[in-house]
Formats: sequence, structure tokens, C-alpha cells
Amino acid sequence: MLNLSIQFRHIVSAVMMAGASVMAMRAQEQQTEPVMPGERPKPTKYVAVEEQKEHQVFFQGFTLSVDCYGPVAMMVSDYGTLEGALRLNLKNTFFPIIEAGVGKCDKEDFNTKVSYKASAPFARVGIDINMLKDKFQSNRLYLGARYGISMFKYDVAGPAQTDPIWGGSQPFSVKGLDCTSHWAELVFGVEVKIFRNFHMGWAIRYKREIASTKSDYAKPNCIPGYGYTTDSSCWGGTYSLIFDLNWGLKKSHKRGVNVDIRTIENGLQTTDNRQQTTDSAPTPENSQPTTIQENGTEERQEE
Amino acid sequence: MDIRLRHKICAAMMMGTSVMAMLVAGCYSNNCPVENMVTCNYGFYDSEGTPITYGDTITVTTLMPGYKTVYTYRKLGNATITKDAPDTALVNQGYTESVTQQRRDTVLLNKLCNASSMKVPMSFFHDRDTLILSYNMITLKDTIKVEHKSHPNVELPECGTYRFHTLMNVTTTEAAIDHIEISEPKVNYEGNTNVKIYFNGVIED
Repeated sequence: MLNLSIQFRHIVSAVMMAGASVMAMRAQEQQTEPVMPGERPKPTKYVAVEEQKEHQVFFQGFTLSVDCYGPVAMMVSDYGTLEGALRLNLKNTFFPIIEAGVGKCDKEDFNTKVSYKASAPFARVGIDINMLKDKFQSNRLYLGARYGISMFKYDVAGPAQTDPIWGGSQPFSVKGLDCTSHWAELVFGVEVKIFRNFHMGWAIRYKREIASTKSDYAKPNCIPGYGYTTDSSCWGGTYSLIFDLNWGLKKSHKRGVNVDIRTIENGLQTTDNRQQTTDSAPTPENSQPTTIQENGTEERQEE
Repeated sequence: MDIRLRHKICAAMMMGTSVMAMLVAGCYSNNCPVENMVTCNYGFYDSEGTPITYGDTITVTTLMPGYKTVYTYRKLGNATITKDAPDTALVNQGYTESVTQQRRDTVLLNKLCNASSMKVPMSFFHDRDTLILSYNMITLKDTIKVEHKSHPNVELPECGTYRFHTLMNVTTTEAAIDHIEISEPKVNYEGNTNVKIYFNGVIED
């Protein structure tokens, strides 16, 4: 049973790796799409790096994410989660996050025939910090911390207990044991832009149990949102599909830079005056202006 | 975005996926207790509370539920013979047979000697265990009555089920034992001394 589930996990991880590779290649194709014959290259206007830094917006929007790994794990193994997260983006550097979901554990040991069942919601709060030097690009490498809590009931059942000396036998089944568990997590993760506002990323989590309610009958073998309690710490991971919600943001703020569009539209004059434009930059009419970010990546300003 | 950077991040994502897969499918170990049966631990002390190694041989017998038929054969000038089944050969030899009903019993510890403690199993479904301690050097026996409550316990599903006990009361007769007390009421597989037996006499320096 254990070997079978390990094989499933290997297959699933291989499929996920292939998916990530295909998506990254497609993104590259879009990025390096050649200009068709007769098509004029898109004009570029430049905004000074110093100006971007000065006007970096504190609140950069929300991010919604869904974990893809938990449901797969739920299907192929004894434990899995359905979880999502809401994250704030502060200056593209700090990401306070709330994660919530439902964890389910349904396990029966092959040898002892002892079964354990728990299904309950859980929540985590914490913060991620973008560790990349260039905060303006769409990809992120982050470290984070979480505090998790789950209040749940669990059932334990097994074969009848038989007294080997005095004799007698009684069935063993305990249901509805209450437990409240607290734990802490350290998170290391990566996320990349896949398409428009969609990102995809993975995270590895080191989890450590802080406290759990003790029961006379059975220790909670699996905590929803945490995992197995075989040891006082465990490892976990998420593979998330992330969607940027730029609610309440002006369009000019989308890239995290507070730039007045009117300034950009008339930018040639402005930037010429400030001697911050490049002389070689073409400026045809009836074209969408594009800013060049600090790292040199291009982003079209949506009108 | 820079293609090189994208390649690096793509590689990092794949590497992360591989690491996650390895973590999930990696080594797995459990912390199942070494002991496969929960026992009540009795520590031996002299009457003043000094830990001792008891020199005499101790045999611990417990009473079981139900009764058994005992056949006793007596003959003048011969030792009394006790059997669980009738023996017609002894009757033919002139022995007198008497049939009695006795409580069933079993030996839990046989001839324990030079020990400073003993581990005795407890009944799963009875509230009171009766232990009879027989000594080699003393004709009299001691009877220890242990009142307890039991409940099932599962540490990990792969470790199976255990039976834990909570000691409520312990009493004893005073043949070789001075007095007895509960030191740790929770009987589990942690190995603590649950009951202290204080034997008569004081160890000499």
C-alpha cells in the first residue's frame, strides 16, 4: 500500500514537472515572438529608474491562490488538503498571507488494521518576503513563516482487544475525540508568471508542532493542514496556481510604479527635458506607450 | 523577461517539484514503543525507603476469573499430591482422593531473584487484580490487591493498540512487606515506577 502510493506520487510529480516546463516554454515563445514582415516594431518610452523608485506604491494589490498539490495528494494517498490563500502585496516585498482550507485524513494501517479518520478546516496566517533584488519583476523567490491552527475531531478504531492472561475481549472504537493543534511553518518558495495575471509556484514547508490537545485514548496521528505527527516536525509542500487581483489599484499602479499616464503620453517632451530618454527610442503616433522597468523588462501600459 | 532568468526559474521550479516528490516519498520511520505489552512497574525498597535488591526468590501468581476443580491425593506417610485431573493409579496405590473447587490462577513471574524491581502485567477488563507473592525463605505469602481502571490507547496506527491503566488503590498483607504505595498512577510504556514495595527491615551500611 505504501509502495503503491509512493509510485503514484512519483507519477504525479513527473506530470506536474512536465506541465511546468510546457507552460514556461509557451511563455518564452510569447516573449520572443518575431515581428511579422510589414509590422512596425512597437514604440518604447522610457521612465527613469530613479522616478520609479521614488514613486513605488505601498499597496500593490491582492493575490488569490489555490493549491494544486493537496487535492492530488488526497486522491492518491491517505492525507490531502483543499486549500486557498489570500495574500496582500506590499511594495512587492512583503506579502502578508491568510491560508485556509480543509484537510482530510483517512488511514488504515495494513498490518495492525488500526484506522484513523479526521476531516476538518484549518487556517494559517503569516508573511512571505520576496528575496529577489529586483522587486519589480513578476517572478518571486520568497521566504516566509506561518502560524497554523486546526480544531478537529478524530476517530480511531481497530481490532478487538483481547486480554492474553485474564481473558476477555472488547471491540475498540473511539469516535469524536476533540483536539486543537497549533503549529509553526517555515516556507521557502518560488513563483513565476505564466500568463497575464496568472502565476504558478511551489513552496517547501518545514512544519513543527507547537501544541496539541492530549487524549487518553489516542494521539492525533494526522492534523488537518499540518500532516502526520509521527515526529514533532514534518515537511510539506504546495504547488499553487496564483491569480493577481489588482482591485482598487489604478492602472498606472499595476507594475508597482506610481507613474502618471498623462506624463507618459506626453512623456517624450517631459523626459527630453529631463534628459532621461534615450535618443534612439522611436516614438510613432497611434501606438501604445510602453515603459521599461528597472530591470529592463518591458510592460505595456494598458489604456 | 530575460530568457536566461526564465530558464533559471523554470529549472528551479522543476527542481522544487522533484524535491517535494522526494520529500513525500522519502524515508519514513515511526516511534513505536519497544515494549509490546504495558506492565505495572514495582520498585523494591527497604522499610525506610532506600532502594534495595531483594535477595529472596519471588514468584508472583495472580487469581483468574472462574474456578477450577482440584484433585488432592493424600496417603499416610507420603506427601500430598495435587492434580488438575483425576488419577486412578494413585487411588489404586492407596491414596485418598478429595475433590475441591479453587479459584483459577496463573504464574506471572516465576522465581525472580536478586531483583530491584519487577514488571507485572495488568488485567484489561477487570477493576481489581490480586497478586500472590510467594517467597523461598518465608513460608507465608503476601497478597497485593491492585484496583485500577483501564482504557485503550493508540500512539500510532502502525504501532497497534495498547491498554493503559490508572491505579486507584493498592493494598497488601504484611508477611514480608512492610507497606506499599502508589508513586505513579498512570501505567503506560514509559517505564516509570508505579508502585513502591517497602519490605521489612532496613538495609545495613
